[in-house]
Amino acid sequence: MQHLSSPLTFRPTIIEDAPHLLQWLSDPKILRWFPMFDAREIEDAVRIWIGYSKIEAGVTVLYHSEPCGMANLYIQPYKKLAHTCLFSIIIKEEMRGKGVGKQLLEYLMKYAKEKFKIEILHLEVYDGNPARHLYERAGFKEFGSQTRFIKENGKYTPKIFMQRDL
Amino acid sequence: MVDISGFDIRYTYVTDTPYLRDWLHHPDVQKWFPVSEEREIEDAIQCWIGFSRYSSSLTATLNGIPCGVGTLFLMPYRKVSHHCLFKVVVDPRHQRKGIGSSLLKNLKHLAKSYFHLDLIHIEVFEGNPLIRLLQKFEFHEFARQERFVKDQDGYKGRILFESFL
Repeated sequence: MQHLSSPLTFRPTIIEDAPHLLQWLSDPKILRWFPMFDAREIEDAVRIWIGYSKIEAGVTVLYHSEPCGMANLYIQPYKKLAHTCLFSIIIKEEMRGKGVGKQLLEYLMKYAKEKFKIEILHLEVYDGNPARHLYERAGFKEFGSQTRFIKENGKYTPKIFMQRDL
Repeated sequence: MVDISGFDIRYTYVTDTPYLRDWLHHPDVQKWFPVSEEREIEDAIQCWIGFSRYSSSLTATLNGIPCGVGTLFLMPYRKVSHHCLFKVVVDPRHQRKGIGSSLLKNLKHLAKSYFHLDLIHIEVFEGNPLIRLLQKFEFHEFARQERFVKDQDGYKGRILFESFL
């Protein structure tokens, strides 16, 4: 793992971060791990993701004051499910392999517990995504998988469900 | 499948909304859904009934009166458009009459023949009597999340089932 020359900083995601998210998701190397396919679908997903900034459910990580990754808590709209939360994380391609994801995930877990009283955090990751190792090292355990979740060119890719207590 | 005269299945209309609202307010129905207060029920109904515009929702009727709804929540993204989540609800006064079975059978047919889906899936809370029906219709469990629901009775898990079409 390469080392960073200065520390990362974290702040709540703001609407103005949307162009960064749009740019990162438009990179095919990143997009392959998300369900979106084209520009219209990416724009739709960005709108939903950034929409959570209204309740400060997103975290943006900065390196040299520039956004280099984001994580979002999809806060449940139902009281019965409010103790659980699905999240997603994205790291700018050039900043991968430097421990940014690990630090962002650690920050997010603490943030979810303290700000939203989340008890259980869960995620969905596609089979083959290297981020799965990050989640395993952070204590997430698999609780199921859907073998035919993604279909591209007639080939299926499974989705794995993971969770951990906070 | 349903041995009651006057039973029929048709596409869902927006005008079925009051029936869905009524059923979701009933404690015996509500316990199997995430909703627990007025605002949540209204939001859930708006999303649910919205699928009627895509003809992906079916309503069971008895003498013309809605007694159950089953809906395919079609996916918005191309890479995942070969499958979808579905929901089923039956009027609590007409449960255990085969209405759920009939809706399930017709939903599977709609998903396969009209929308050309490869599979459909559903999320149910632990203990839901619908589980027996899903097993009868060859759905298999693919995920089980402990403590997903938290209400006055404590925690309940959620179980995810799917059926290949």
